[in-house]
Amino acid sequence: MSNTDKTTDPNRSRTSTETFVCVWCGLTVAASGPDGKRRNHCPSCVHSRHVHDHVEGGPSECRARMSPISIAVLRNGDWKVIHRCTRCDELTANRVQGDDNQLILMRLAVRPLAQPPFPLELFGDL
Amino acid sequence: MPRHNSRHTDRGVQRRVQRRKEAPPGTDRRPGGTFRCAGCRLDVPLAAPGTAHRNHCPQCLSSRHVDGRVPGDRAADCGGRMEALSLSSRPDGEWLLVHHCLLCGELSTNRIAGDDNPLALLKLAVRPLSDRRVPARALLAL
Repeated sequence: MSNTDKTTDPNRSRTSTETFVCVWCGLTVAASGPDGKRRNHCPSCVHSRHVHDHVEGGPSECRARMSPISIAVLRNGDWKVIHRCTRCDELTANRVQGDDNQLILMRLAVRPLAQPPFPLELFGDL
Repeated sequence: MPRHNSRHTDRGVQRRVQRRKEAPPGTDRRPGGTFRCAGCRLDVPLAAPGTAHRNHCPQCLSSRHVDGRVPGDRAADCGGRMEALSLSSRPDGEWLLVHHCLLCGELSTNRIAGDDNPLALLKLAVRPLSDRRVPARALLAL
């Protein structure tokens, strides 16, 4: 694919028509997100794919599906999705995009509270 | 210092000299089966109710980056402090802590122990809900 963009920014040196197919829900997604950076996960089901080796850097040979397991909140209030690879159990943290499915993100955030290991009624007295 | 008990040696009862236990390299394990928390300096016993792999402080939930992929393998030579980043839950409802190494950025998960501070756990669990913008956006998406 010929690249006509001459800017030096690596995020900009990509055609905006590039797409990928989600490994979980099969949605065809534009590779660049609303902020112009490359997407990491499907905005519809928030599943990802293990294509980047986070330990040694560079591309990974695993290429298995990565399912979202939890939501982490940074100090500045931004959300990150923690993904776990279904094949090699690698963990990654990725920033949420503006057009990600808010219901899926909310479901991930409240999932631990649905099955607490101790009764939550006691915290009403505190 | 070896203790000399003349009464016992006279009777021929010999005390067995206690063998020195080597601590695993890269840890600050103390005698008596405790470790000192890297975050709040609490002395924590290694035995924990509900889990055989205690790797975090029950009070502040901090951990130390000593293990590689397998719990207890002591394969990582980072040694940095790991802070609790978020809570995840398994399909059977068990809670998992996601730790984040402050030195190298590695992530790891560990089951919560039976004596972990419930208030610290709940603070971590409700942290995504403290921001009002995202629930509002979720309701608008309906």
